Amino acid sequence: MTALVSFRDATLGYGRHAVLRGFNLDILDGDFLGIVGPNGAGKTTILRTFLGSLKPLGGVVTIAPGLRYGYVPQRDVVDTLFPLHVLEVVLMGRYDRIGIGRRPTATDRELARKALERVGIAHLADRPLTALSGGQRQRTLIARALVGEPNVLVLDEPTNGMDLVATTQILGLVRDLHERTGLTVVMVSHALNEVANYVERIALVHESGYVVGTVDDVMTQQALSAMYGIPVEVSSFEGHRIVLAKRATNGIRRDA
Amino acid sequence: MLDAVLLFREALYGSLIIAVTCALLGVYVVLRRIVFVGAALAQISSAGIALAYWLAGHGIATALATHPEALSLAATLASVIFFAGTPRGPVPPDARIGVWYAVAASAGILLIAKAAVGEAHDIFLQGNILGITRADTVELVIASAPVVGAQLLFQKELLFTSFDRETARTLGYRVGLWDLGFYLALGFVISIAMQFAGVLLVFNFLVLPAVTGLLLARSMAGTFLVSAVAAVVAAVIGFALSIPFDLPTGPTMIAVSGALVILAWLVRRMQRRS
Repeated sequence: MTALVSFRDATLGYGRHAVLRGFNLDILDGDFLGIVGPNGAGKTTILRTFLGSLKPLGGVVTIAPGLRYGYVPQRDVVDTLFPLHVLEVVLMGRYDRIGIGRRPTATDRELARKALERVGIAHLADRPLTALSGGQRQRTLIARALVGEPNVLVLDEPTNGMDLVATTQILGLVRDLHERTGLTVVMVSHALNEVANYVERIALVHESGYVVGTVDDVMTQQALSAMYGIPVEVSSFEGHRIVLAKRATNGIRRDA
Repeated sequence: MLDAVLLFREALYGSLIIAVTCALLGVYVVLRRIVFVGAALAQISSAGIALAYWLAGHGIATALATHPEALSLAATLASVIFFAGTPRGPVPPDARIGVWYAVAASAGILLIAKAAVGEAHDIFLQGNILGITRADTVELVIASAPVVGAQLLFQKELLFTSFDRETARTLGYRVGLWDLGFYLALGFVISIAMQFAGVLLVFNFLVLPAVTGLLLARSMAGTFLVSAVAAVVAAVIGFALSIPFDLPTGPTMIAVSGALVILAWLVRRMQRRS
């Protein structure tokens, strides 16, 4: 598989403040990658660097020519003060293709409706964005990312603030999109338990460093304990991985 | 009453041009949550007018007495470029704008207090809507048409870069440049309108009609339409009331704008209950 984005010995950060040093990562064509870590570990810095809104402080970041992102921002970034309807929001994903100063055509509208169909909310096309639930709003943003026919779908904390049902549905939808079309997907999240059961590869970023590998490589007791610096247990239930931090005992040993 | 209104018809036309242009830009001012920027630019623009009168009054640049908009425009556009080009620092952006607002307001008052040009105080505070002539109306049309035209032409670009900057950036939009263009248009309109309408009325037309639009409309197109209509209604009714009742025209228009906001809010409440 060819690399669409490559980080080579990259130093990433803001101004003079380096968040990550010596960072190496390839985002491959057809990848389903989760960039996972706690808040402040540097996952947003990685995201902003490969999206091009942040320049690396050092090293090399190579982006394949003509690469097109379908970006799904965090849901709470979307401003509900704007009186926009679902179809209007989805159409924004085609604005750069339509061209500056030009109006969307009937074809653009048709493509936007098809994108809504792909994410299962075609019936909501004419609803105001404010009338939607969190999950429906997230689907709208995914449809907007898809309508631009991207090479890479990038999702920033797609399940933040969602309940269990909506989380499962959104992650299932993203996985389905990847499996059906081979679309490259990069998902940034702090929720290791959620992401690990859907993606194929993980870049686990932590204050102490980072580790990149397949889910099987990264989701081990040893790797995670070393990464987080506390004893971590990885269990499995009906094929689902569950990561548990072992309960702290404050040094008191309880003998059975 | 009709005779009196007809006598000042150029003033009415001028008011309508200012009202509609500001009301259309105002939708973005409110949606972008930069109402305070609008207020600060209006104050900076008025400080520019005050400086022009002060300089003219002291014989430094006498031509500025008849064309104070030149200095007002220069001050406003320079401030826009300065705002846009200042990197993020330890002082939050709204506090920076607050500093500019306070300094510009006080500078304007101090300069106008020492300006030797007659009636400058009234013009500074309230504008001089009734003094609009045919030549002024033509000037307003020439100044407003490109701004309204650009807003219509680049409607989707302005909408996208206002609504979701990060995603727009990933699709190749140079968000900073679109912001700068918007602020320059805003500064331009404010500085042109200021010399006729004054700080308060310009600020009113930038904010209140847009709020009315957002309260009543359910779409972006509807919001622009209601905002423009609310501005026209406020200008016409305010104008028509001010002449027979001998009221100051600008504040009467503002009072009507305020009444329309209250009306819109009541309609919104009733819609929610039903």
